[in-house]
Amino acid sequence: MRQRPGTTGARAGLRSALTPTALVVAAVVVVCLLDLALAIRAHDDASHRSPLLSLPPFAEALALGAICLLALGAAARSRMALLRSETARVSADEDAKRLLQVIDNSSAVIYMRDADGRYLLVNSRFEQLFGVKREEIVGMTDFDIFPPEVAADFRANDLKALASGGAIQAEETAPQSDGPHTYITVKYPITDPSGRHYAICGISTDITDLKRVEEEARSLNTGLETRVRERTAELEASTRELDAFAYSVSHDLRAPLRAVAGFSELLLEDYGRGLDPTGRDYLGRVVAATSRMSRLIDDLLTLSRATRAELSWRPVDLTAIAQRILTDLRAADTDPDRPMELIVEDGLRATGDPALLELVLQNLISNAWKFTAKQDKALIHVGAERLPDGACSFFVRDSGAGFDMRYADKLFVPFQRLHSNEDFAGSGIGLAIVGRIINRHGGRIWAEGHPERGAVFRFVLPERPPGSAEGGPR
Amino acid sequence: MNDAPILLAEDNPDDVLLTRRAFSKNGFDNPIIAVPDGEACLDALLPADGPAIHPALVLLDINLPKVGGLEVLYRLRADPRTRTVPVVILTTSREQRDVLEGYRLGANSYVCKPVSFTTFVAVVRTLATYWLRVNEPRPHTGAAP
Repeated sequence: MRQRPGTTGARAGLRSALTPTALVVAAVVVVCLLDLALAIRAHDDASHRSPLLSLPPFAEALALGAICLLALGAAARSRMALLRSETARVSADEDAKRLLQVIDNSSAVIYMRDADGRYLLVNSRFEQLFGVKREEIVGMTDFDIFPPEVAADFRANDLKALASGGAIQAEETAPQSDGPHTYITVKYPITDPSGRHYAICGISTDITDLKRVEEEARSLNTGLETRVRERTAELEASTRELDAFAYSVSHDLRAPLRAVAGFSELLLEDYGRGLDPTGRDYLGRVVAATSRMSRLIDDLLTLSRATRAELSWRPVDLTAIAQRILTDLRAADTDPDRPMELIVEDGLRATGDPALLELVLQNLISNAWKFTAKQDKALIHVGAERLPDGACSFFVRDSGAGFDMRYADKLFVPFQRLHSNEDFAGSGIGLAIVGRIINRHGGRIWAEGHPERGAVFRFVLPERPPGSAEGGPR
Repeated sequence: MNDAPILLAEDNPDDVLLTRRAFSKNGFDNPIIAVPDGEACLDALLPADGPAIHPALVLLDINLPKVGGLEVLYRLRADPRTRTVPVVILTTSREQRDVLEGYRLGANSYVCKPVSFTTFVAVVRTLATYWLRVNEPRPHTGAAP
């Protein structure tokens, strides 16, 4: 007789659906889904290098719970459908075997305990790891298998799952023959038709390796932080050393130089008559060399100051500074009346360290002055230009000796000179100072030139201090 | 013209000789009393017993043995007997912190010793002309000012 789908039949079907076989079906579905979810998550975590064990948000646990319940429902429904068929009934045992095979082949540890914590079912992974046979374990609790504190921990999570009514996720540690292993465990209650949670199913995935990798990553990070701290301290120490060095150079190196220069000059003055012209020439060279060395020391100290001085960010009127520098240069020139075209554009404003930016213009304009000295009508132009990328660049252009662009990369390197000392005197440090200062402001500088057709030095300064860590105007 | 002595606190004998020479070259015949360290400088100006010297000018190096130049300056300004004695820091250092500290402690001038002797002679001429000829010397009342 055909049974009409009705309440009695349905109830009977549901009851049948809740046989251990059906539960196994449900478990397998859930296991597969959870295995997949965990695998994906582990993969994502590893590839994103995020903390590997940051538990998924509670929403995910809820979703997992929903999946479990849906899976159980689906299992029940499919079971009901199957039960209608005679053949299915015959193959039910076959089914159970097959499904057991599936959970036995999972790399996760899978188990079912009743509400009182007594084992109903474990997979073979469980058997292998904890040395208990499936047949023996039924009726045992965790307290029979694990040390009390471990068992208590497991039990607490079981109770949490029962209380929540849905899937929960927890990190659990189980002792194994090779030491403690860490598991990420999903537990969810299993409900009978009356809605009573009568069992808990648990799926535990071994994350010991992930955990170790995470620990390594963490210690690597900590190590890195420590190293950064150490290097910063070293850097600060070496800056202090440089400071002390520059200080002692400024005091100590010039003193003997002063004696060499002073007594050579006195020798020339007091005893010059007793020397022949060659002797006087030699002494003159000694004096000239001391003055070159003195300039060199001054420039080195300026370079060191430009390197270590703390930047104070303020608005700087480059126009006013450039005009002042040109006036001074004109006054100090051996030929103050030589015809020159000097252009300083109005309104050249920047933000930066006033003293250091003055040093930049001082060096660039002095250079322009020096390299145009042999010209009949020299041009020096200080101005600003908008670059194609929208940045405002300042420039110092001259009509002087210029340089070969092949050596442009040497311009800002200390002691690299593109002209002989005989043609144009210099220490080779001026542009290094300029480059250092622009760099320290987070700006950039470059130059274009042609031999005998002048040069232009351009620089761009950021509108505000780079990086908020550097702080605003102090 | 102020013909009181000049107290030169300078530990480098070369510099002492060059300074003496620069003064005489410029026609200033004031006696130059050289002290080789900060302690000797304080002993001369603020003796524990015996008479102090009353220089027209103290030329003070910063880098001095025993008691540094800035410390000397601090102690001179802290004592009523030497609070107003003209002190010119004459040093090699152009370090901003030295210049600032020198002024903060009450130096009357801060002068850098140039390497070139010719320039140094010119610097000494300017200094001596101002402090020994142009400037009205502080009166010696014997009492604390």
